[in-house]
Amino acid sequence: MSPKLMIWISVLLSAVAQILLKQGLSNVQKRNPKGLFALGLAIVSQWLIWLWGFCFVAAMGLWLVGLQKLDLSYAYPLVSIGYVLVTLLSAVFFHERVDRHRWLAVAVICLGVTLIAGSQ
Amino acid sequence: MPTNLQEETWTAEAAPELTGERAGRGMAQLLGRWWVAFAASAVFVVSGHLLIKAGLNSLTAAPPGTGVAGRILHLLLQPAVAGGLMVYVSGTVCWMRAVSQKEISFLYPLSSLNYVLVAAASMIIFHEVISPRRAAGVLLVVTGMILMNRRSRERAA
Repeated sequence: MSPKLMIWISVLLSAVAQILLKQGLSNVQKRNPKGLFALGLAIVSQWLIWLWGFCFVAAMGLWLVGLQKLDLSYAYPLVSIGYVLVTLLSAVFFHERVDRHRWLAVAVICLGVTLIAGSQ
Repeated sequence: MPTNLQEETWTAEAAPELTGERAGRGMAQLLGRWWVAFAASAVFVVSGHLLIKAGLNSLTAAPPGTGVAGRILHLLLQPAVAGGLMVYVSGTVCWMRAVSQKEISFLYPLSSLNYVLVAAASMIIFHEVISPRRAAGVLLVVTGMILMNRRSRERAA
C-alpha cells in the first residue's frame, strides 16, 4: 500500500468512526442505562462502538505508517475531507438537512483538498 | 455532589495535598473559559502532530520483513511518537471542553487555523517546501470551513 493511499484510508476511516461513535452512543442513550455498571454494559454491548474502536485504531496506525514518507503539511490538511464526508453521511443516514451554504463549503474544501493532494 | 465530597476530604487531609488540589481546581477553572480551552486545544493538537512527525522523521528502520502490525508497534514505541499522541489526545480533551461551552459552528472555523499553523510549523521545523499550490489548497480549506459554518452563526447572532 502506498503512503498516500494509507493517509486517504486513514482520513476516511476516522470520518466513518465519528459517525459510528455518534450512532453507537445515541443507541446507548436510548436504552437509558441506570448506574455506572449498566452504562458500561450498554456501551460494551454496542457493536457500533466496537466498530468505532476498530476504525479508530486502524486509522491511527495507517496515519503513522503513511506519514513516515510524506510531508506533514501535505497529509494534515487532507483531514478536512472528513468534514465533507461527515456532511454527506449525515445527510444520507441521519437525514440532516444540508443547506446551500454547506454544499458550497463542501465544494470549496474539496477544491482545496484536490490542490493539496496534487502537491507532493 | 462530587465537589462537596472532595472538599470534605480536602480539609481533613494534610497540608501538602492542598497545593496540588488547588492547582488542579485552578486548571479546571481556567479551562472553564471557552477561549482558554480552545487555545489549549489548538496548541496541543498542533504540537502533538508536530511531535509525532518529528518522531517519525528520526525513526530507525523496522527490521526487514516486519508485518504492518509490527511496523505500527515499532512506531508506537518511539518516545516522540507516543508522547505526541498523548499531547494530541489532551488537545482533543481541551477541544471537548471548549465545545461544551461555545457553539461548535463558531469553534470549527477558528479551529481551521490549525491547518495554517501546522503548515507554517512544518515549513520552519522540518524544512518542508510549501508550494504555491499547497498554500492555495490550505487557504481554500480554511475558507471552506468558514463558509460551512456561516449560516448557522448568523442564525445564532
